[in-house]
Amino acid sequence: MSKIIASCKDIIKTFNSGEAEVKALQGITLDVYENELLMLVGPSGCGKTTFVSVLSGLLSFNSGVCKLMGENISAMNDDELTTFRGKNIGFVFQAFNLLPSLSAIENVALPLTVASRKRAEILTLASEMLEAVGLSGKEDVKPSGLSGGEQQKVAIARALVHNPKFIICDEPTSSLDHKSGEIVMELLQKIIKEKGASMIVVTHDNRIYKYADRIVHMEDGKIIKVAS
Amino acid sequence: MFKIAVEMLMHDKTKFLGLLIGVAFTAFLVTFAMGYFAGFMTRGFALVSENSSAKVWVMDPAVSSAEATINMSDSSLDSVRGVAGVEYATPLYLGDVTARYANGHFQSFQTIGVDDATLSGSPQPANLLHIPNSVIIDSGGTEGKLQTPLSKKDVWSYDGSHLQAPTRELRYGDVMLINSKRVVVAGVSHTIPRFPPRPLLYTTTSNFKRLIAGEKRYITFIMVRPVKNITPKELAKRISQKTHLKAITSDDFKKETVMWFMINSEDVGDMVNMVVLAMLVGFGVTGVMLYMFTYENLKQYAVLKAMGASAKQLGDMIFTQVFISAVVGSGIGIGIASLLAQIISSPTFPFRMMWFAPLIGFFGVIIVSMTAAFISLRPIKNMEPAIVFKL
Repeated sequence: MSKIIASCKDIIKTFNSGEAEVKALQGITLDVYENELLMLVGPSGCGKTTFVSVLSGLLSFNSGVCKLMGENISAMNDDELTTFRGKNIGFVFQAFNLLPSLSAIENVALPLTVASRKRAEILTLASEMLEAVGLSGKEDVKPSGLSGGEQQKVAIARALVHNPKFIICDEPTSSLDHKSGEIVMELLQKIIKEKGASMIVVTHDNRIYKYADRIVHMEDGKIIKVAS
Repeated sequence: MFKIAVEMLMHDKTKFLGLLIGVAFTAFLVTFAMGYFAGFMTRGFALVSENSSAKVWVMDPAVSSAEATINMSDSSLDSVRGVAGVEYATPLYLGDVTARYANGHFQSFQTIGVDDATLSGSPQPANLLHIPNSVIIDSGGTEGKLQTPLSKKDVWSYDGSHLQAPTRELRYGDVMLINSKRVVVAGVSHTIPRFPPRPLLYTTTSNFKRLIAGEKRYITFIMVRPVKNITPKELAKRISQKTHLKAITSDDFKKETVMWFMINSEDVGDMVNMVVLAMLVGFGVTGVMLYMFTYENLKQYAVLKAMGASAKQLGDMIFTQVFISAVVGSGIGIGIASLLAQIISSPTFPFRMMWFAPLIGFFGVIIVSMTAAFISLRPIKNMEPAIVFKL
């Protein structure tokens, strides 16, 4: 049995929109294991993104317990959560969310810069990561000069550069064509196996299901099925 | 993080330029408004400025400006001259007269009577005032008020006033009537314009007393110069103690005059209101622009926060961006104001770039910018970093 990296129990999250209360997560319980690539699938509005936001400490929740690497994130304050996230979690977003003013290498280096690592170390690690995702020679190119696939590769490099144990990918292939999507997924799979990290991928794209170790189906804020 | 903040700030050139223009405009507005205000205030103490050799001014104890005055007895001059440390003391007489022009029009003048012997306080060449019944006239910042008929047939005509007759500027040899007494224009001077603007008429003490008869007290000010080994402040104190008159240095007198205008002049009050309003508008624009800049970049800050950037790091970034915008923008604004000051500076335009104008412009912008930065911290602090998942 692999070690549990993330564990959520009875997570409830509601949003108040005026007088209406929206129950986004209705008692989610889920474990994520070491070295696992778990996919979270389901229709729009079923709570996938809300769940990964909660799981990564980006969104507070109403009740339940959520532990990452054994740490209870619901007991952490904002500063502790931010520091924890910076050390342990990598993010890949659907819209890439690269900083348009920074070059590819500067974007990759962001988690290291935020952690105030030494400049020489930052440059070496970021450069190696860019090479690992196949973007050698594009170090000084700004996001506007990169294709969608290349931008997502930069985002992946950025998510992995600080060796996080847990990676969250929100629709990593939805902005890409099929071929680029395949490349990105192969890359993600390869890198997490090499680095021994765990990954949750939120997706609508059934063409990439084949990369998953487990697929969790959600609907109306609940897990309705877990498939291997 | 400093580099990231700077690159974020300058990435969108149009936005950055807009921000700089906004900040520069505010700095320009504040600096220029201060310069304009200072220009008017300088005119308020023009009488003191044009008598720069007088280091100490003596006056009735109730007087607190060069604008609103009451006269002293003639014996006060002897009292002041009797104080040890006085190198010389000369009287200055101020009064208001109404002069009749040759075409029948009339005009009020502030009359300045200067010491017959020394002519101290008169524009140059002062010896013109030795011509009997002569005066030197000055526009005092007004325009078109020193006029006499162009044609001889309209001059002191027997058939009454020729008010509609074409006119020209008064000049040497022209004649006016003051209290039915004939005065001759011996010269036209161009001294420092007055605030409020008014035509000036310089003459000797004896002629002054001829024109303004019936007063018991004539001396308005006594201008004093100290001997070499005593400072103006010391002498002023000594004169006050010995004569019970008010004696202050010329610098203090200028400051008191400015204060008097600030408190008593409705015109200055209106001007201050306009300046303050202009400043507030500029500051408001700057504050809103800086706040909007941060707000528009909220998602980028959310990305940084998701990656572990602390509240302090994000705050430092915002302050860096705002500080750079404020320093560069205010530098440009103050530079333009200084350049414009050089171009438009003339005796007819009340503008004076005092040392404090650019400082107030700069620090005003900095304070407003830092306030905007503080306000901008609020949405950053309150944002849910989960917005990074939104498209």
